[in-house]
Amino acid sequence: MTENRSIQISNDNKRSPKKFPTVERFLEGWSVYKENLIGKIGLTLLIIFAVMAIASFFTPLIDPMYHPMTGVDPDISHSTSPSWRHWLGTDFIGRDILCQLLAGARIAFMVGISAAFMSIFLGTIIGMIAGYTGKVVDTLLMRLADMIMVMPTLLVVLILSSLFGQLNIWTIVLLIALFRWPGVSRVIRAQTLSLKERPFIEAAKVTGASHFRIIFRHIMPNVLPLSLLYMTFRVTSAIIIEAALAFLGFGDPSTVSWGMMLQWVWKTGHMFQAPYWLLPPGICISLLTLSFYMLGRAMEEVLDPRLRKEIAQE
Amino acid sequence: MEIRKFVFKRLIEIIVIFFVILTVLFLLFRLAPGDPVTRMVDPTMTPEDAAHLIAQLGLDQPIWLQYIYYLKNFFTGNFGISFHYGVAVFSIILNRLPNTILLFSTSILLSAFVGIFFGKIASWHKGKKTDTWMTLGALFCHTLFLPWLALIMIWIFGFNIGWFPLNGMISPEIWLDSSSGFWLKFLDVAHHMVLPLATLFLIHFGSYLLLMRSSMLDTLKEDYILTARAKGLEEKVIRNRHAAPNAALPVVTSVGISLAFSLSGGALTETVFSWPGIGRELVFAVSNSDYPLALASFLLIATVVLISNLAVDVLYAYLDPRIKY
Repeated sequence: MTENRSIQISNDNKRSPKKFPTVERFLEGWSVYKENLIGKIGLTLLIIFAVMAIASFFTPLIDPMYHPMTGVDPDISHSTSPSWRHWLGTDFIGRDILCQLLAGARIAFMVGISAAFMSIFLGTIIGMIAGYTGKVVDTLLMRLADMIMVMPTLLVVLILSSLFGQLNIWTIVLLIALFRWPGVSRVIRAQTLSLKERPFIEAAKVTGASHFRIIFRHIMPNVLPLSLLYMTFRVTSAIIIEAALAFLGFGDPSTVSWGMMLQWVWKTGHMFQAPYWLLPPGICISLLTLSFYMLGRAMEEVLDPRLRKEIAQE
Repeated sequence: MEIRKFVFKRLIEIIVIFFVILTVLFLLFRLAPGDPVTRMVDPTMTPEDAAHLIAQLGLDQPIWLQYIYYLKNFFTGNFGISFHYGVAVFSIILNRLPNTILLFSTSILLSAFVGIFFGKIASWHKGKKTDTWMTLGALFCHTLFLPWLALIMIWIFGFNIGWFPLNGMISPEIWLDSSSGFWLKFLDVAHHMVLPLATLFLIHFGSYLLLMRSSMLDTLKEDYILTARAKGLEEKVIRNRHAAPNAALPVVTSVGISLAFSLSGGALTETVFSWPGIGRELVFAVSNSDYPLALASFLLIATVVLISNLAVDVLYAYLDPRIKY
């Protein structure tokens, strides 16, 4: 009985004068977003990289020598500069650099998005629980967050890889997620603390909604946009950490990531002779992180009406 | 009195955090696949030496005693013998620490000052071309991939133009020559430091600029700025005397918060430039499975982060008297 009533109330809560509130909100957000120069640049770059990632699936189909990991040009056994056959040249054993670059985009998206999703998931849930429960649980969770926050993630993963041997790409993703949630959880906790005092939570409590229901049904929809915003920043940091790890030689040897390519050019001593090999991976990492960062900053303005107003005034 | 209480509370917190980190590392070293003895004792040692070291590190004892030995060794600076160098880890660490502190503190101070300065200008020209270009430039610098930037720096300024040495911290011929004086040595280190410093500076100053800009924009909305304007003060005075000092406060805190991040960057920079610091030693130790050295470097870096966080908190309390704890 109580369950039914609480559903009733939550439905009332969600009802808005417009027919499709989510679509309306999205369109409204989009109209603000598309006015933003930084946001537009970011989105354009992101689309280019997405196309690169998709293209990486097709290169091995053209010719086996265009496979990023195993494809070796039979006529070439050393690094060569760009040519018609290999638009960006080849690496030290004759693999096509452009194909590796495309495959790197795929890995970067995979690592960035999955690690960011996991850390946001953890951070949002922990933040909501800490903020909603308060007291001992809150203190414990937030001290744990403090502790993880002061640890340099890259160096922690390095130490772990020295203990557990070569890490595969999913372990790296998992470790990044495990060490990158505290920042998110702090923000979500603060948001939850203020939401907790609002009348609609009070109403839900009075109708007998369980804590679980209040957290996931009433608080979560309100903090989710903020989590989404933080996800863009976490994507950036995950990509950088994975690339740095690969650059230092602790990446997954079965993947071709941009960090890995930089490690090859550095370790095989080609950095002074082969700018065609040194430049592309670094430019790609930098631009991809830049585009996610720009996306985040533009989203910030969409989500924070205070910032938006300022822009409208100009 | 308030501030003293706060510092004391933070100190207790930091000590607790430190013990937790120590314990987690201890457990990890025991839980990881393989034998802790092979991990702490160099396989090339003679059996007698190895037995001596095992006894010294307490590796032949039950696990709870091992933990006590581990804590005792930590606080007496006994981290075992490095596999690679064959000398006590503690002396290596002690030797590398000043180099890291030198590179690090210089880069952070420099980038914070320049970032604050330009952030101030950007906020003042909000919405104009100056602001747009500065914000874009800062974003761009901030997201450059650090090791790549380091390689590019070496490639352009070290290899192609040849203004700066490719790597290292000193030129041995100058330091071995007994006739070279202090200033020559100083200049030599400074010459080697330019490229790593420039790399770290470019990466960090962008984030300080962006932070200062947004903080300044918030501050300019405060009532006391309105008061200052009403008094008919010059805009320059309002900007530099009234707004900037308050707006710089969040930047100070962010130095502390981003320290963990910058230390990772420091390790990468040191590795690429072969700068003989703790970060490079850690990377090097991990690549060589030199566990005692890796463990000690990591603990030292953690200590540095925790102490600097405390220092930033105290500094913040000192700079902003409005803060109540």
